[in-house]
Amino acid sequence: MEHTHEHSHDHERGEVITLAAKSAILIGLGTYFVYNIVSGNLTNYINERFGWLSYVAAALFLLIGGYSLYHLLTEHFPAEKHKHDGGEGEHDHDHDHRDHAHDGHNHLSWGALIVVAIPLVLGTLIPSRPLGAESVDGSVSITAAAGANVTTFAIEPNKRNVLDWLRVFNATDGDYAEVSGQPVDVIGFVYSEPTFAPDQFMVARFTMSCCVADASAIGLPVLWPGAVEQGVWVQVTGVIEVGEFRGEATPLVRAESVAVVEQPEHPYLYP
Amino acid sequence: MVYPVSARLSTLEQEARIEIRRLITVVALIAVGVILLAAVIGTGDDVGTIVSVFATRFLGIFIEAVPFLLLGTLVSGLIEAFISAEDIARLVPRNPFFATLIGTFMGFTFPVCECGVVPVVRRLYTKGLPMSVGVTFLLAAPVINPVVLVSTYAAFGFGNVLILRFAITALVAFVIGLVFAVAARPQDVLQPTSLAPVMGGSGEAIHLPTARKTKRKPLLIGLRDALVMAGDEFFEMGRYLIIGSLLAATMQTLVSQDVLLALGRGPVVSVLVMQGLAFLLSVCSTVDSFLALAFAGTFTTGSILAFLTFGPMVDIKSTLMFAGVFKRRVVLYLILLPLLLTMLIGIWMNLNIAF
Repeated sequence: MEHTHEHSHDHERGEVITLAAKSAILIGLGTYFVYNIVSGNLTNYINERFGWLSYVAAALFLLIGGYSLYHLLTEHFPAEKHKHDGGEGEHDHDHDHRDHAHDGHNHLSWGALIVVAIPLVLGTLIPSRPLGAESVDGSVSITAAAGANVTTFAIEPNKRNVLDWLRVFNATDGDYAEVSGQPVDVIGFVYSEPTFAPDQFMVARFTMSCCVADASAIGLPVLWPGAVEQGVWVQVTGVIEVGEFRGEATPLVRAESVAVVEQPEHPYLYP
Repeated sequence: MVYPVSARLSTLEQEARIEIRRLITVVALIAVGVILLAAVIGTGDDVGTIVSVFATRFLGIFIEAVPFLLLGTLVSGLIEAFISAEDIARLVPRNPFFATLIGTFMGFTFPVCECGVVPVVRRLYTKGLPMSVGVTFLLAAPVINPVVLVSTYAAFGFGNVLILRFAITALVAFVIGLVFAVAARPQDVLQPTSLAPVMGGSGEAIHLPTARKTKRKPLLIGLRDALVMAGDEFFEMGRYLIIGSLLAATMQTLVSQDVLLALGRGPVVSVLVMQGLAFLLSVCSTVDSFLALAFAGTFTTGSILAFLTFGPMVDIKSTLMFAGVFKRRVVLYLILLPLLLTMLIGIWMNLNIAF
């Protein structure tokens, strides 16, 4: 395949810039993934069990980006300038044909580069935060999506988290006498709506099976005369009693104490 | 063998097209910007919070999806680099029924990304693949492959959606392939450049021991080519993933539940909406499960399945590529048949099955 390497200087520079941008974005994304893994931010976005996928992504990004960079450096900034005159150069020009053929030039449009840079920009500029009270879409559910299994009841009452409690309620099938009086010790973020009674709020968590896309909020209704701030993480201790919430008879928590705590490292619950 | 080069557009026409495309893009972006602004103001929350929530949702989809996109493009690149079309064409049985069946499941052993499937099919045709098998493979391979299996499992777990996605895709592809097998002749279906050169372009499976074989690439060169291809394809396909994720994140952050439920609860409307989205977003089949997941809370399962089965078969990108392999009218059939079948199945499920 014969063709003349008659690039104008600008043409070649354009190609270098594109290739440089491409390498930068790929390596940037790889670094972003590594940072997420190392800093623990990864679990803000996806279920822990898929963490390994991010290792794979980071590795592939760095591999592909690294090769792209290597290609850029060896092709366009070689130690000595090759004479590109009809393929008589010493090294093998075969693999260059893909890049130097006129219809195979880095046809990555600027649009593609900009769009793919968006996650990198958003990821680095905006501080990473897990979903919280402000992300609740609709309302916080008091029915657990996945049913209870045998082991849920085996968990001691004061070791149960919000999800465990909802599953237990689900399993009692309306006969709340079983759970009435049991001690409660849960953490969650405060969520309340104007329609709640003034001494009620919900202590809520987000559950996630796969990733943020399917995250949904669940919570326990709490009776507490004191003031609470929307979105703040609290630890609630108290006892279960049957009361009225959102117009229905539901087991809820009569709180004995509500203390502000730090947001836990793993804020999501995995059903 | 040299095929006739198709006529190129004159430079002026090309420039005009680019200008028009740019204009449309600018107008679309402005419209989107205005709508977003209105939505943000409408929610009443402060902008910082909204941006943070939006970014979390967007990045969540992106981070979960990207490994699959990379794997998909890398695998496609490796297949392209190392497996020749002859290998594939040789494995197809003569009987049209079994051939179509094989075509449906071939994607498992020769996974290709939805984006790569059309050029692969064209190359297979030139090597003698029967026409109906190509059609079936075209429609089924984007879903029936290992990467999509894993990503759909990651998104939806082992359940109805996973199983039905594969079952429906296989069924629809098989049926359409059979239709082509019995009712159409290759010469009426394929563009001249796609017909097998020998035997008058009959499109039937042929074994040519004397045909010039494609030289296998040496391992390192093949690997390197696969890497380069994967990189380029990541930008090509990543574009659509990111735009789709931006849309899904916007929808989850700015659009109220009521609006979504109004669209998503209707047994028919939800299916139509999801199919429209699938067509427009043109997201790679290896990652569209994560987009569908964002809608799973508010849309009917039938519509989610319609999105997951119709999208990989037909979207803006693939429609344009079909035109290079099939004749005009056939392209239309290739769009309408999957559309109608997946639509009917989706609606039927919404009306008859309680998920």
